[in-house]
Amino acid sequence: MSEETNTGGPGNRWRLSLDSWAVLLALLIALLVRTGVFKHVPW
Amino acid sequence: MASAITVPQVQPVQPVFRFLRVIPGVLLLAAVGYAGKLLEQNVGTYAKAHHWTFPNIEYVLWAILLGLLISNIVGVPEIFRTGVATYEFWLKAGIVLLGSRFQLGDILKLGGVSLVLVAVEITGSIAFMSYLGRAFKLKPKLTSLLAVGSAVCGVSAIIATKGAIDADDEDSSFSIAAILALGAFALFTFPVIGHFLHLSDKAYGLWAGLGVDNTAEAAAAGSLYSDTAGKLAVLVKSTRNAMIGFVVLAYAIYWAGKGQAQAVGNKAAFLWQKFPKFVLGFLLISLLATYHFFNKDQVGTLANLSRWAFLLTFAGVGLRTNFKEMRKQGLRPFVVGAIGEVVIAAFTLALVIGVGKLFGG
Repeated sequence: MSEETNTGGPGNRWRLSLDSWAVLLALLIALLVRTGVFKHVPW
Repeated sequence: MASAITVPQVQPVQPVFRFLRVIPGVLLLAAVGYAGKLLEQNVGTYAKAHHWTFPNIEYVLWAILLGLLISNIVGVPEIFRTGVATYEFWLKAGIVLLGSRFQLGDILKLGGVSLVLVAVEITGSIAFMSYLGRAFKLKPKLTSLLAVGSAVCGVSAIIATKGAIDADDEDSSFSIAAILALGAFALFTFPVIGHFLHLSDKAYGLWAGLGVDNTAEAAAAGSLYSDTAGKLAVLVKSTRNAMIGFVVLAYAIYWAGKGQAQAVGNKAAFLWQKFPKFVLGFLLISLLATYHFFNKDQVGTLANLSRWAFLLTFAGVGLRTNFKEMRKQGLRPFVVGAIGEVVIAAFTLALVIGVGKLFGG
């Protein structure tokens, strides 16, 4: 979760957590689907 | 596997090397998960063609079983371990994408009901685990870690609490091993009990979300029952996860009051740091889907991408579970954890059945 990568000194203050990276990736994928870059992903 | 029971450490590695190091393990997750999917499709067809009676085993179980076989028979080579550990990353990305399959109104309605159940579950679980820890004379901080792990969200909660209450590495390893072993056990027992009691998808999903500790195992236990149960289990488990900050803050204040942990300065910043951000992502995608930001085909594509992300997660659940490593952690925390889990599972099952009788469904 968030705290896993938020430990450390001041240089790490703005480092994103694993959690936040997962959210960013998912939102990017959603945007790519919305804009038609990913048209159809089968299961 | 050692990585399953040690607390993640931040290592000074360049981002590009860190990225390259995860590739072999992610490929292994994909290969094991895809093999599970192929087995689901082909074993049933093969058995039918040869007139064999064979149960229909879902890809979820195949992926976990293949992972367990690899981890416990040949072991996961070092080169794959960093990538295998990313299964939680895929889980969280999958949960965010799963938001596209929920209408925001349904989430608020279900979330409202589950929030009450979660509050009751967390209070009851922490009280009972604390009592058990005292009865078995476990170290107080080990008891706190086991209580948080059982009540809120498994390994993530234990890691969060360990830092906040200055617990030993050994205590957190004990607790993580106990929670992982019991999570693996729940994976195989929850669906059997659910079918035995003829629980509806809704009731079972609620139960899996409330009763199974780790998010990956809760998602898997729900999906093993049905797709609807899997969706609900993830929703309820995410509600539990959202409570993590409050519970960890309470423990941090308690131990700081005893002079055995650092005092918490800015409580709002503490809560934000501990809050699982994927819950916000899940709500955002659901909001966008509710207001038709995505068309029907796009929602289908997002749902399929979510399934692929979960496939990697389920493979990871099997690959990171090594029973030999867990046995090394000693028996007492397992006994306490096991008694606690059985009681919590029975308690949450009674809650779900009681709510079903009160409100129907």
